[in-house]
Amino acid sequence: MTDSTGTSVEISAIIPVGRRHAPDVLALYAEYKEGLEAIGLPYEVIMVLDGPRPEMGSDVRRLLSSGDRVAVISLTRNFGEATALIAGFQRAAGRIILTLPAYHQVRGSELGKLVRALGAADLAIGQRWPRVGTRFEKYRRQLFHRLLARVTGQRFHDLGCGVRAMKRRVLEEINLYGDQHRFLPVLASRVGFKVREVELHQSPLDRFEGGYPPREYVRRALDICTVFFLVRFTKRPLRFFGLVGVTTFLVGAVLITWLALDRLVFRQPLADRPALLLSSLLVVLGMQLFALGLLGELIIFTHARDIKDYQIEEVVRYPAPLCAAEPPRPALSPAPKPSESQRHIA
Amino acid sequence: MALDLSVVVPLFNEEESVRPLYAAILEGVECLGVAFEIVLVDDGSRDGTARVADEIARSDSRVCLVRFRRNYGQTPAMAAGIAEARGEIIVTMDGDLQNDPADIGELLARIEAGNDIVVGWRHDRQDKLWTRKVPSRIANALIAKVTGVPIRDNGCSLKAYRACLIKQIPLYSEMHRFIPAMASIAGPRIAEIRVRHHARRYGSSKYGLSRVYKVLLDLMVIKTVASFTARPMLWFGILSLPMLAAATLALGWTVFTLCVQSRMSLSIAGTGVIFLTSTVTLLAAGAIGELIYKLGDLREHQFSGLTQHLLVRGAAVDD
Repeated sequence: MTDSTGTSVEISAIIPVGRRHAPDVLALYAEYKEGLEAIGLPYEVIMVLDGPRPEMGSDVRRLLSSGDRVAVISLTRNFGEATALIAGFQRAAGRIILTLPAYHQVRGSELGKLVRALGAADLAIGQRWPRVGTRFEKYRRQLFHRLLARVTGQRFHDLGCGVRAMKRRVLEEINLYGDQHRFLPVLASRVGFKVREVELHQSPLDRFEGGYPPREYVRRALDICTVFFLVRFTKRPLRFFGLVGVTTFLVGAVLITWLALDRLVFRQPLADRPALLLSSLLVVLGMQLFALGLLGELIIFTHARDIKDYQIEEVVRYPAPLCAAEPPRPALSPAPKPSESQRHIA
Repeated sequence: MALDLSVVVPLFNEEESVRPLYAAILEGVECLGVAFEIVLVDDGSRDGTARVADEIARSDSRVCLVRFRRNYGQTPAMAAGIAEARGEIIVTMDGDLQNDPADIGELLARIEAGNDIVVGWRHDRQDKLWTRKVPSRIANALIAKVTGVPIRDNGCSLKAYRACLIKQIPLYSEMHRFIPAMASIAGPRIAEIRVRHHARRYGSSKYGLSRVYKVLLDLMVIKTVASFTARPMLWFGILSLPMLAAATLALGWTVFTLCVQSRMSLSIAGTGVIFLTSTVTLLAAGAIGELIYKLGDLREHQFSGLTQHLLVRGAAVDD
């Protein structure tokens, strides 16, 4: 874990640069640098360009020639922030991983506070507070986090904040992809990591003008669905789909029975009743949902050994004393890494 | 170095029980003259369980400690312990001293006699009658009826398995209660013996009546999955048969009216088409199921080693 200068790196700061980034990246870097210097631990900065950013070419060159411990990784196309984070993490040498947004969210001077807050926790996430913004934005944010809390049972306040500090093993054990970086805290606390929210001063430059396009709202809604399924569905698909499916099926079946009785007992002709279509659709829908749940359960059942639903902190085996006949065992075998196949699935 | 026996014990907030438990296991196992290990699994306890267990592991190299980062529940704890165990026979038991390790010898003897799974039966249960015993008896009767594995006490954790069998059985969620039923895919020989049961000495019970609902749901899932896993196409085919029948009926009626009265009812024709569509998608789902099964790691040949082993053993016993 030493770099070319021979000193070990404690903190690796990863800055994923996506479509949205600060107009003056060098100024942003300077601000972060000041904050990182103030912590007093040796650090490195890894900037990951998510897709080609020709407009940043000169900035990147100046950054690389500045003599600081900076690495720049350029991805061939836009993969999404979470993938960029992982790409940066694979180069990171630090014990503590810091993710920083490529635009102003919190003051650089607040980074020390975040890293100190890490302490016993595994992941410390920033919460911009006090927060500026219109009342509409505030409500929108609250709605998002309420919905998410509803779905996951975990209340966070500012998942949009890209400033997070974490211990190495958090990223080693969590498979992130696409846009899941936002839900890192949710996923982390789900596998047993301790997560803390830390209030950080918002940067005066953190202004997002013009509001979000409708596409962005659709994405957020889909994100919530994703997390919902990740949290609720992946463990017991048949419990979820089976319940919904059986309910739908029963409603349809009752309706059909009633129609049949109507026809047989009261001689109500069946031929011109649209309710027949509705009830048979319900029956079929219920059946399909149940079948989907069954398929999901089959996947889990036959792959249970790849999809471990627990995380081992450590396995402790002390070596036998020398007088014993048995050969000594390794003193402390580290927790098994997620298997390669598992990584690939995710 | 092969071990004969691994004793897997999940622990959750059992600080006071760990030491007496360790002593009891030693007492029950050392006299058997087998090479054994004890796998303690700390299921994210919030008291000093991990510390005490670590001290024991330090003082005795036969003890292995698996620590979870947080509390995941008894089944994952057992699964982790079983995955870590290296013995040829694996015995699981509760960490709360309600099972008596003195029974392990009897369990082993039954495995030696050619069984693959030996389950304990707490015939003299030291629990409250109405909140624990009666629901448990009903649940067990139901489980036996539904799964076709006649075991009187599924809730008893004291069980012994051949490692080659139990390591192949998927264990997740709250499945530990149904391991014998799950294992029935492999067609094992199951024996049941009476074991001692002690009232809880330390700590408090971690289960209540509320689990009955979950048990029932799990039971349905297991019944379905266990019977369908190996033959998804067949199962989905059966599922689609009533759909096909309904479709034939409705479409037949439509054709009939069309020919005889040269008119047809749109809703009946539509119903027929809907059911036909459903038949087709269900069959397609069956095909996908076959694909999943093929890619999975739960196929018969996984258990073929077990079967051969049994044949040899069976012959030896018959002599």
